[in-house]
Amino acid sequence: MLSFVEETVLLLHDEDSGDFVQLPQSVFSVVIAGAALMDLAIRNRIDTDLERLTVVDPRPTGDDILDSVLSTIVATQNKAADASQFDISEALYDAATDADIYRERALKRLIRRGILKEENGRHLWVFRSRRYPLIDNTEQQEVRARLRHILLSDEIPDPRDIVLICLVAACSLLRFVLSADEIDARTARVEQLRKMDLIGQAVTKSASETDAIIHFAATTI
Amino acid sequence: MEIFRERDGEVVIVRLTGRLDSSAASSAEDGLLVALGGVPPRLVVDMTELSYISSAGLRVLLVVAKKVQQQRGKLALFGLTPNVREVFAVSGFDTIFSIAADPAAALASVR
Repeated sequence: MLSFVEETVLLLHDEDSGDFVQLPQSVFSVVIAGAALMDLAIRNRIDTDLERLTVVDPRPTGDDILDSVLSTIVATQNKAADASQFDISEALYDAATDADIYRERALKRLIRRGILKEENGRHLWVFRSRRYPLIDNTEQQEVRARLRHILLSDEIPDPRDIVLICLVAACSLLRFVLSADEIDARTARVEQLRKMDLIGQAVTKSASETDAIIHFAATTI
Repeated sequence: MEIFRERDGEVVIVRLTGRLDSSAASSAEDGLLVALGGVPPRLVVDMTELSYISSAGLRVLLVVAKKVQQQRGKLALFGLTPNVREVFAVSGFDTIFSIAADPAAALASVR
């Protein structure tokens, strides 16, 4: 099973172009950070409530991305004057710092697993370019089909589905899962599911704030 | 946390006490899934003595609710303390679960 960080990188992959959907850097960073925190939560290394994020088990997971995020959180908590006040937003901010490194690691893993392959080429015969064609789309298709089913039905989702829906929505990638008409018809369902993970809520909030800042800058310059 | 089970006819009533967080999640999940004996299961969860619930606790309830739905059973909660009710409201879990006003209403809703 792929980790949420790997799933996120794969969800950002555009099968047609062999490239990745471009997101504002800060949105991308917070989504990758959120995916890592959600992985740690599912693996019972951290727990959250409405006020706090708590490290409940600092032992390494064996996943170098997650262990890096976990050690960053532990270090920040140890330095904090009052660790009980450490919340999800702070952990997201900490983990987002190295999001590009985590993306590269996740990408290498997807290549090693035979899901993507790396192709080096030239753009306009001059500029080096790199593409990542999808070799095996089974995982991507299965995830999209599962999310589609959960979004279009009233079935109770499992915790993994909720996490993935939070991440897809935060990246504004619902269009890869549902048609425009379906998105319009199921807005309430999307909002219901996005609320169900507290880390997902923090990712949504942070990504929306970034979007708002970019929109404000674009419309006032 | 402690988990108590009793039966009222075909309905199993599970009482959760204390804190439902990551340290209690595994035993709570086991305790609740064991209570889904009947097919279809009819389960009432008494939360009057549950003082705290974290994300790990919410995931436990979600897994149980999904199992009940898959087995075409019924599940109702009652007795949410203000803390727990707030977590349910903020996370939208109050739109997924049937939350009854009292034990009698919870029992009636799963029969």
